[in-house]
Amino acid sequence: MPIIKYSPLHSLHLKNKAKFIEFSGWTMPFSYKGTIKEHQFVRQNNGYFDVSHMGRLVIGNDYLQKVSTLICSDLLELKSGKALYSIFTDDNGSALDDVIFWKYDEYVLLICNAANTEKIRNYLQTEEIFYQDLTEKTALVAVQGPKAISNLETLLPIPGSFSCLSNDKYTYARTGYTGEDGLEIMVDIEDLDELISFLHNNEIEPCGLGARDTLRLEAALPLYGFELTEDITPVEAGLKWTLTNKRVYRGSHIIDQQIKTGNHKVLKKFVIDSRNIARTGTNVLACNIHGVVTSGNFSPILQKSIGFVLFESQPDTDLLEFEIRGKFIEGKILKKRFLS
Amino acid sequence: MTEKKYLETHEWYSLTDNTITIGISDYAQGELGDIVFVTLPEVGQEFSKGDSMVEVEATKTVAEAYAPMDCVVVEINSSLDSEPEIINSDPCGEGWMVKAEVKNLDDSGMLYQEYENFIS
Repeated sequence: MPIIKYSPLHSLHLKNKAKFIEFSGWTMPFSYKGTIKEHQFVRQNNGYFDVSHMGRLVIGNDYLQKVSTLICSDLLELKSGKALYSIFTDDNGSALDDVIFWKYDEYVLLICNAANTEKIRNYLQTEEIFYQDLTEKTALVAVQGPKAISNLETLLPIPGSFSCLSNDKYTYARTGYTGEDGLEIMVDIEDLDELISFLHNNEIEPCGLGARDTLRLEAALPLYGFELTEDITPVEAGLKWTLTNKRVYRGSHIIDQQIKTGNHKVLKKFVIDSRNIARTGTNVLACNIHGVVTSGNFSPILQKSIGFVLFESQPDTDLLEFEIRGKFIEGKILKKRFLS
Repeated sequence: MTEKKYLETHEWYSLTDNTITIGISDYAQGELGDIVFVTLPEVGQEFSKGDSMVEVEATKTVAEAYAPMDCVVVEINSSLDSEPEIINSDPCGEGWMVKAEVKNLDDSGMLYQEYENFIS
């Protein structure tokens, strides 16, 4: 029987009356006061998310040359004090995981998805890349929202966008997964209470993974297991901007070929002018090009149904037909952002 | 109006003369989370016990509410079209979904105490 893991913040979540969800082997808070309330609070104010389930691996900078052969972005040119979003690829150029690196003078902190932590650990071991696993020794808290930075200023020096800093207690970066400004903060378990007291004293509200999902979807950010899988390349997921690794890396020849020919699956954003949610797996037709919804939910800001759909090839119309439980619902491809 | 009774599928109903009012329980709305869309049946539509009557779309998942007995819809709560969140705030009151004329009385639902034991 698999062991269910608990975050070091679990007792706090119980005190805050969280509703829980099993996520990648972890029991994590799904919501507290309700997903939509938490979503709105992060868009207008600020909230914090416990993301301690995500893998946190420290890799010495001596190994970056090796790591660089496994990811699609340029890690070697990354300056100390900067963060980098990238994707581990396999021999087919497909995504093994999407990750964040925070680079410091001596090491990088690699943050990977909970569902993929073991896969990435095994991969690094096979490639003889030594790492230190901090996942269960630390907590990771994301503070997000338009008021997050001004609130956190009294606790920490604030790094620039996509930059990272550390002090004797906190290792942190100005990154996130909501489309809002904020910090993601890693802290040793013994220093966690101090951080949590600070958040509560500053009326930074706890938010669950439900709101994290609706926020990331509205911000058009991919979620591994949905927009990115071992069957989808970064090109297909619309993440060409991550392809900054000029050297040869796993599957790079296939990725280069996809860019050259344009023959590949295509991920698009969609909007439905109603509240019918087109959920993961919903079949979609764009004229005669077939697609499947990868993620879909209700956008609390737009008050409409939004999501991503993966097409077999580039559709030549923006008009879509969704088959939702036997009914045909019209929608359209959105070329601009969900939120302006 | 009789006391509300509950089904294992988390609907409640109450009986007035020969008409039942149907909704979902507070436990059900809590499990579903934020309700954003409800597909109600049409007045005059007939249902047999156990038929899917209402589709409830929440941010977390989609669920169906089933007919507690054979019945014909006589009224629907149209305010749920524009404000489905009423079901979250008042599932057993303003958040009622359907009123229906009973065709075949089956008053076998659980009283609240029994339902509470069932869900705990």
